[in-house]
This record gives sequence, structure tokens and C-alpha cells, in this order.
Amino acid sequence: MNEQIVTTVRGKDRYKAGVMEYKRMGYWEPDYTPKDTDVIALFRVTPQDGVDPIEASAAVAGESSTATWTVVWTDRLTAAEKYRAKCYRVDPVPNGPGQYFAYIAYDLDLFEAGSIANLSASIIGNVFGFKPLKALRLEDMRFPVAYVKTFQGPATGIVVERERLDKFGRPLLGATVKPKLGLSGRNYGRVVYEALKGGLDFTKDDENINSQPFMHWRERFLYCMEAVNKAQAASGEIKGSYLNVTAATMEEMYERAEFAKELGSVIVMIDLVIGYTAIQSMAKWARRNDMILHLHRAGHSTYTRQKSHGVSFRVIAKWMRLAGVDHIHAGTVVGKLEGDPFTTRGYYDVCREDFNPTNLEHGIFFDQPWASLNKLMPVASGGIHAGQMHQLIDLLGEDVVLQFGGGTIGHPMGIAAGATANRVALEAMILARNEGRNILEEGPEILAQAANHCTPLKAAIDVWKDVSFNYQSTDTPDFSPAVSVSM
Amino acid sequence: MRITQGCFSFLPDLTDGQISRQVQYCLDKGWAVNIEFTDDPHPRNTFWDMWGLPMFDLPDAAGVMMELAECRRVYADRYIRLSAFDSGHGWESVKISFLVNRPKEEPGFRLHREEAAGRALRYTTTAYAADRPEGRRYEG
Amino acid sequence: MPLEDAIDTPEAIAGPIDLRAEFAAAGIEEMLAELDRELIGLAPVKTRIREIASLLLIERIRRKMGLSGALPTLHMCFTGNPGTGKTTVALRMAGILHRLGLLRRGHLVSVTRDDLVGQYIGHTAPKTKEILKKAMGGVLFIDEAYYLYRPENERDYGQEAIEILLQVMESQRDDLVVILAGYGERMDRFFDSNPGFRSRIAHHIDFPDYGDDELLALAELMLQGQNYRFKPEARDAFVRYIARRKAQPRFANARSIRNALDRVRLRHANRLVSDPDRLLSAEDVVSIEASDILASRVFA
Repeated sequence: MNEQIVTTVRGKDRYKAGVMEYKRMGYWEPDYTPKDTDVIALFRVTPQDGVDPIEASAAVAGESSTATWTVVWTDRLTAAEKYRAKCYRVDPVPNGPGQYFAYIAYDLDLFEAGSIANLSASIIGNVFGFKPLKALRLEDMRFPVAYVKTFQGPATGIVVERERLDKFGRPLLGATVKPKLGLSGRNYGRVVYEALKGGLDFTKDDENINSQPFMHWRERFLYCMEAVNKAQAASGEIKGSYLNVTAATMEEMYERAEFAKELGSVIVMIDLVIGYTAIQSMAKWARRNDMILHLHRAGHSTYTRQKSHGVSFRVIAKWMRLAGVDHIHAGTVVGKLEGDPFTTRGYYDVCREDFNPTNLEHGIFFDQPWASLNKLMPVASGGIHAGQMHQLIDLLGEDVVLQFGGGTIGHPMGIAAGATANRVALEAMILARNEGRNILEEGPEILAQAANHCTPLKAAIDVWKDVSFNYQSTDTPDFSPAVSVSM
Repeated sequence: MRITQGCFSFLPDLTDGQISRQVQYCLDKGWAVNIEFTDDPHPRNTFWDMWGLPMFDLPDAAGVMMELAECRRVYADRYIRLSAFDSGHGWESVKISFLVNRPKEEPGFRLHREEAAGRALRYTTTAYAADRPEGRRYEG
Repeated sequence: MPLEDAIDTPEAIAGPIDLRAEFAAAGIEEMLAELDRELIGLAPVKTRIREIASLLLIERIRRKMGLSGALPTLHMCFTGNPGTGKTTVALRMAGILHRLGLLRRGHLVSVTRDDLVGQYIGHTAPKTKEILKKAMGGVLFIDEAYYLYRPENERDYGQEAIEILLQVMESQRDDLVVILAGYGERMDRFFDSNPGFRSRIAHHIDFPDYGDDELLALAELMLQGQNYRFKPEARDAFVRYIARRKAQPRFANARSIRNALDRVRLRHANRLVSDPDRLLSAEDVVSIEASDILASRVFA
């Protein structure tokens, strides 16, 4: 593929008016070695039938940097060679006929420091609608340390979050209040109180709980904080409820966040749909105000789920770590939502490690140093329950928030009992793991033993023992040897 | 009332065998184990009193258990917790912490509400035990 | 290994027990063979160790059969002159006890009085406990243990260390093994004034001085380990060296041999360097000559 002989046009012929193939304009440079300071993007390119994959890839490089459809003489007023993105490698996708992986390097000067908006406008701004392509997907990116260091990173980070909450050595437990729409503030607070008193660390507003006729935001905040404080006094533990401050304007979001702070909340929440700039603004606000910032990835599946077109979630995860949120939903593998185990593992590594080595089987295409940027706490949420505790800890580790919404509120003995069941299952499993037991094998037995002194756990296991979500994943690694069905 | 701070408070109180297995897990990871005690279990009381220095470089849990036995002998009526510290770059903080002793009676916390402007409330949590002087808070 | 599982709990076993299999499973034969191979001489010591290992193995089997509940006392006393291999054997003993499941970790913490006893009031207990904490799961080896006891000074802080040691030796027998070491006579006097120790020590092993042949074999083994060897005349010279050195004060068996060889290597190197024009062969750099030995002060 990379051996195709293309003569790049150089000198004054390069700027003759007219149309020229992208690959001849310098957007295809097979001999180029990316600099340590380059931003690198990996695209999955699906050219229209009959379009040369190298030309298609060069076009992606061109359209995401300096090129337009025709030669412009004004290029000659710039250091065009430097600003041109360079596609330096094109590989056919294994088992993906008609698809190609295009590696494109961008000079650091193409980007504004500390701006996800600018970064994404460049990389995914125009090029995804380009006609010669059937489909295009941004699979992964490598950010140079020099660029990473221009971002704030997670406002709080995993370590400081744990220190503030005084909770160490186990995953945190949360639940999303259900039903997600319709509860009045007073009823909503009841659910929060029961769940927190029962043993959860956090409760959570759902993505579309903002300020509706059935419950205006101030009502929700006031009743939630009453519940949080009451549960805190009842347990002696620090508790929190992610108060969703998502609103129509920045001003309104700030107003809601300020009120949450006044009431003493340790955490606020935003939705991905507020946009990258708003997210970065809220991350800075959270850093200034000692607040943990939870991000609900609302809307991401519209562009992350299909393998052929869009943006991979691992790229979104990287952007969000740079942007500075503290929590991000990153998949459960075993739950009700999309999530191949290897790909999900890759997302978790992006969130939590200080260095990500290339790992094609996990979908990580580049070495990524994080340069001591805070760690981002992944959140596992959606269709998980206490009976899966051993699998969850084995797959996701201990620096994660496990959110059992239905698995708490749907408990036959009530919300507090549901919360207790989850907490007992969690603590019993961590205790056993630390004792050196093989929790994956002995998990059900460990849970059964723990259930002997905890009736709510026994009830939870009985009700949900047969629940699992076995569907084929759509977003699987291209280099995985096998397994792509959820366990 | 049962305070549920720490990693294992929802389980029945750990036996010495269970505690030493957790300690061994920490030592095998190269973490320093620290014994701390307090008679003010307020959730934001971060700095409990230290029973000596964190124990660095111990190969076996029995060393920690020896100190714990001594600490329990002296402070039987207080909260005692074990915490393990990881000095690795990027963490440099506590990795696990759990209660290993509690007073016989745990009176819990008072939640004080102060009405503020609008319908807002200011909350203050105080341990009932903290009404008594330090050192005599959990005497019968 | 979980703490409480490390020590075998009694379980009634009905059928006969295959002794060879038990031996092999514990890896004891291997340890003893290694001891034979790597330690020159020390025949009586090796015999004692074999006896102790056998006793402990049988104890283990008896406990498996439910015939004996209590853990055997394992604290020991090694007596002998300096350089007779006490520390080395203590290290091996820690390994053997670990293989037998009688020690959880099998490491060795070697200390003297200064590590245990403090300089002022309130200093000794924390120091002794610090050492004990580090030794838990392994062997605490106290060299020249009698220095802990200073009868001439009533308020000597050593007494405090002794009391803590005695208490731990009694109450935490499954957590650590204490080996006291030193000159035989002084050890005896120490036990006379501290009967508490005598009653807690289960095994005494006396380390005899090495014979001349053994010291020579030891020297050759040490050289081999460093890729040197004696030329025949050098070997003869070293035999004479041993005889003379033993007659001098402060002879410390293996330790003196090791020190002598260190000086021999110095002289060997010096001899080679003093003749920069010659071409060195591999033979030259490994061979110790008689002159390297005869230059010793011992022959002066």
C-alpha cells in the first residue's frame, strides 16, 4: 500500500492555478517520520468505489488542515510545508474490505493551546462530509506532551476525589434516580436519601433531568442536599449527589453550579451535549470551586457506535481527560449498553493511566504520555447488578464508580435494601480479592456467603440471577484475536 | 448507629485473621501500613492520631498485628483504622483504609439545620460523643 | 500465604503417610543436600540440622494425624567461635523452617545488642519492637546475645530488651524464631543468669572450629567462586599460612580465611600491574602464585 509511487509536485509548479490530486500536493508523505511534537490522528477511511485509498487519505489530511478543492496562490504567503498535514501511512483494515487506516501527522502550530473546540474543529470539522469518501471514522489520536501540558486536565482527579471523600480501596457506588422523569423534588429527594442511607456513595441525576414543569432545578437541589446531609449524619460517611447543572446557557449553568456549591454539594454534573467549550468552562469552574465534575456522555452513541463512521469513544475519552472532567461514563461490558471487553479496557486505560502504550488489541494505536495530568474516574452504568460484582471488579478494577440504578431502586425490599445489597457484595468481593481468592471463579460462592449475613443481598441475587445482556458488540477492536460478545 | 467509614464497614467486624490477610495484601504491594485512632469520627475529621509512624519495609503482617494489639489495649474505646500508603508516582496517597476497632456504643451524629435566605439550609454535623471532653467521649 | 493457614492446622488423617513423599513435598532433602554441598566441614552441625529437620517433619505428620496439637518450640542457640558459619547456617535454617511450613516468610534479620538496646529511658522498647516487627515471619538472629545482659550495671537498658524478647518468644512462637549466637562459655553464663532464655530454647547447636584441611577446602571454594585458583606451590604456601595464622591472636576461622584471600588478591593484582610490559594470559589473571601468599605478615 505504502509503496505506491507518487510524485509530489514541488517548486512553483505546485502552485499553478487549477485542480491537483491531494497526494501530489504534499498531503501524502510516505517518508515522513512524525515529530515528537506532532499531533497524530488515525482515521478509518472508506473511499467511494474506484477512489484510490492513498488519494482519499491524502484528501483527509488536506481537508483537515490547509487544503481546499483547488490550488490557491495564497499558500505561497505561508510556511505551507509546515502547516500541511501529512498522511504518512495507509494500511488496509484487517478483515475490513474497502477500509483503510490512514495515519496523519499535524504540526503543533496548527492548534490553539488548551482548546478542544479548536482541536476538534480542525480534525473533525469539515472532512467527515467529504464526497469522495463513503465513510470516515476518527479512531485514535496521539497528543504530544507539549500539547497535553496546555490543558488543565481533570479538575479534581481520582486521587484527590478519594481523599476528599475519604473512600479508598474499593470502587465507589452510585445509582441514577429512577424514574428519570416525573418525580417531584420531594419524591426525588426521598430516593436519594434511601439510596445513600442504604450504603451508596453517590446518587445521580439523569442526563435529561434539568428544570422541567414537574421539578424545577432549585427544588431538586434543595431536597437532594437535605437527603445527602441526612444520610451523611446517619452513616458518618461523606455522600454526594451529582446535581445536573446542564442548562441552555453558560450563565444559567454557572448559576446552578453556584447554588450547588452554596448548599455544600461535593459534586456537580454536566452532559456531553453542552459542547466542548462549555465543558472546559465548567472544568475550570470546578477546579476553582473544589467541586468534582461528573460528565454524562449523553449523545455520544450517535457518532461513536458505528465502526465505519464517526469518532471513536476513545478519542472522546482523551478529549475529555484533556478538557478536565472528573468522571466519565466509559462502559460496563456486562451491562445493557454497547461495550466490547477489549475496547472498553482501552477506554479505561485512557482515563486512568499516566502512560498508555500502544495496544492494538485494545484499540490503542499510539503511545500516549499523559504527563502527570490527573486521572479521570470511569463510571460503569447501565443494566448492572450486585450478582455481577465479581465480573465487574475483575474487568474494571477498583478505581471506578459502579452505578446500579435499577439494581438499587428496583430491589424487592426497597431502595435502602438495594443499596445495602450492592455495598455488601462490593465489600465482600474486595475483601476476598485482597485475600488472594480467585474472584472470577469463586465469585458466586463469595456472594452467597456474604448473603448469609445480609438478607437484601440474598434477595437481590434471587431476583436478578438470570439477567444478562448477550448481544454482539458493534464497536470491536480490529486486531482482537477473538471474543467480542459481552460476557 | 454504626459508622460505615472505611472499606469493610458493611461486613461483620473483621476477625484478626481477616485483618492480617488484608495487611499482608498491603505489605506485599510494598505499601506502608499506618494505625490511626480517634474519638471524633466526624466524616471530615481527616487527621486521626497516629499510633507511631507508618510501618515501612515489613515483610509480615504479624508486625502490624503486634502494634494493633497494643493500640487496642490502650484505646479500646476509640475508633481505630488501618490505612496503607502507596508512595508510587501518580498516587502518593492512601490505597485502602478500614476500621479495626470501634467503641461499644456509637451514639452517632446530630444534624443541625440553620435556615438561610430563600429556602436554603446550612447543615452542620456533629458527633454526639464530641459533646464530651476529648479522651472521655466513649466512657460508659 | 494467609497468616493463619501458614501453620498447618491439625486434620485427622486415617491412612498411612508416605514419608518419602512428605520429605520431597517439603523440599527438605534438597535443602540438606545443598547445605552439604555448599558448606565445607561442619559435620556435627549438619548432623544436628538433619536431626532437627527430621523431628520437625515427624511433628508435622503427627499434627496431620491429629496426634499432637501444640506447635513445637523452635528457638535455637548456636555456639562457637567467630567465623564458624553460624550466620550462614541460620540463613539456611530459616529456609528449612519456611519449607516445613513453620515460618511464613523465612527471611533472616541479623542484629546485635546495639540494634535492640537504646541509649536513654523509653528508647529500648520501641527499638526492640521495631526489630521484632521486621523479623516477624522469619528468623531473628542475635549475635553475641550475652551482651544484652550486663550484670555490672543494674539499670542497664538491655534488661528491658530481654523482657520483651522473652515475652514474644513465648507468645508469638508461630510468628518468629529467635536464634541466639555467640561463644559457648559466655552463652552458658548468660543462660545461668537468664534462665527464662534457657527454658525457651529448644535446640542447641555447637559449631566446632574448622580443621586445617577444612580451612584449605574453604579457601579453594571461595577462590573458585571468584574465578581464581592456587598454583600447586601456592596451595602449599597457603597450608603453611593456615598453620601460622591459627597460632596468632584473633583467629576467626572462615572469616580470617576470607580476609586473607582478599589480601592475596590485592597482592596478585599488584604483582601483575607492576610489570606493565608483559602480555597477560587468562592463566595469569586467574592463578595465585606462592609469592602472593608468602608476602603476608604471617610469614614475617
